[in-house]
Amino acid sequence: MGKDRLNKQGAKVRLRISGLSKSYDVKNGILKAVDNINFEVYDNEFLVILGPGQCGKSVLLNMIAGLEEPTTGTIELDGKKINGSDPRIGMVFQKIALMPWKTVMQNTEIGPKFRGINKRTRREKAQMYIDLVGLNGFEDSYPSQLSGGMKQRVGIARAYANDPEILLMDEPFGALDAQTRYAMEEEVAKIWQKEKRTIIFVTNNIEEACYLGDRIILFSESPARIKELYVDDLPKPRDIVSQKFLELRTIISENTDLAI
Amino acid sequence: MTMKKKEHFGEVKKYTILDIVYRILPILSISCIFLLWIYVSADKPQLFPSLQATWERFIKLLEKPVMRVSYLGHISASLKRVCIALAVSWIIGISFGVLIGWNKKMDAFFGSIFSFIRPIPPIAWIPLITIWFGIGEFPKIVIVFIGAVMPVVVNTQAGLDSVEQMYLDVGTAFNTNKKQMLLEIAIPSALPSIFAGIRTSTSTAWMVVLAAEMLGAKSGIGFLVSRGMEGDDLPLVLVAMITIGVIGALLGVVTSFIERRLCPWERIG
Repeated sequence: MGKDRLNKQGAKVRLRISGLSKSYDVKNGILKAVDNINFEVYDNEFLVILGPGQCGKSVLLNMIAGLEEPTTGTIELDGKKINGSDPRIGMVFQKIALMPWKTVMQNTEIGPKFRGINKRTRREKAQMYIDLVGLNGFEDSYPSQLSGGMKQRVGIARAYANDPEILLMDEPFGALDAQTRYAMEEEVAKIWQKEKRTIIFVTNNIEEACYLGDRIILFSESPARIKELYVDDLPKPRDIVSQKFLELRTIISENTDLAI
Repeated sequence: MTMKKKEHFGEVKKYTILDIVYRILPILSISCIFLLWIYVSADKPQLFPSLQATWERFIKLLEKPVMRVSYLGHISASLKRVCIALAVSWIIGISFGVLIGWNKKMDAFFGSIFSFIRPIPPIAWIPLITIWFGIGEFPKIVIVFIGAVMPVVVNTQAGLDSVEQMYLDVGTAFNTNKKQMLLEIAIPSALPSIFAGIRTSTSTAWMVVLAAEMLGAKSGIGFLVSRGMEGDDLPLVLVAMITIGVIGALLGVVTSFIERRLCPWERIG
């Protein structure tokens, strides 16, 4: 645990964000959403971006996913600049965004389907992740038949089934009730242990950040700027009432205006 | 609601009474219509044929053809025109609606022409269509087509124009190509709107075919109406009108059935 350990020794850098900014033209001039962000993401790490609501962290994630274009700055994946959406980067959406006209199976397989993978292979893959998120038996259900937590499980299975190397999660549990949220955090931690991926997880919840992250980047109020960086090297799975966990939580919360 | 019935015994009574009310109300309204009919026709039978006269005319119509075409023959003549026109208008209407709803350039090119042609009632085309195609089956189908294609185009375009950004983002994040974005995301998400167009086009087509038949045909329900008018045979007009109503309602049932089959996710939740 410590501050400012921006460079993890020996870890391979997968994603490099340099001088990334995003501004929008609004009625009374220019609105800066993201301001000169620089950070690196290491191979197979669980990186959490923690910041207050509406601070522009979703915009940052959208830029990495290729859904929005940066005003300035670059995003490099394995040392090469990426433009637009890259198949190696997957996304779990805050609004979940399952297609209501597709079943759980059809929603999960869209990644490989869009890449033109044959039906048998992609169904096998999708089935694997449907099982992994614990939705076995719901393959033919429509999203409207599922609870909020189950829907986001599909959202996670859908992202994994596309075999991304970098997985972006944009406040995936923001819409869930506290009970479901805890269960889902545990689930994500478990899946990450089983299926190691590089994950960038955005949240406004300090406890969620401390529970999941290897490193936590703390963002300031809008426009999004990096305020602080924490390394969370507590052993996983983490005990949320352990002394060290609470210490980290306190350190972070003292540095923010976030409600815990 | 069934769950609630089991759980809260206090509410059982309330729902049962409501259920009965909902069953009684349609019967009540239909009875009122019949009573009104009997009352009006008893007073002025020359203005409104009696229930009995209408029923007898219906039985006679079943036995004796009008213009050598049986009652069912007239129905099927109208239905055939409607079905052909609808099939063509759905294919062309959906394709065109997708084109102008999805492609901004196409919308800019065709949009203004379309919004100018749309308000012209299909019946107003009859003189031109008659000059171009004469009289017969084809011009009638063309007129019905003109009426039926408009709501399909308008609703398809609206549906594609308002696909939620969220779904398009999912498509982008999962690297769809343009064709997949349209076929797998945009069109399915627009289906409810497309079906709204299909429902409107069905009822419009049924209205337009009757108008077209009234203006010149030797068969069809619309022909029966005009025949009844010319021959001072008001009971025949009434039989035809009731037929129009019943078949119109049935067509509505058929389109909702197709919609439920094609959009199974809309049945739940």
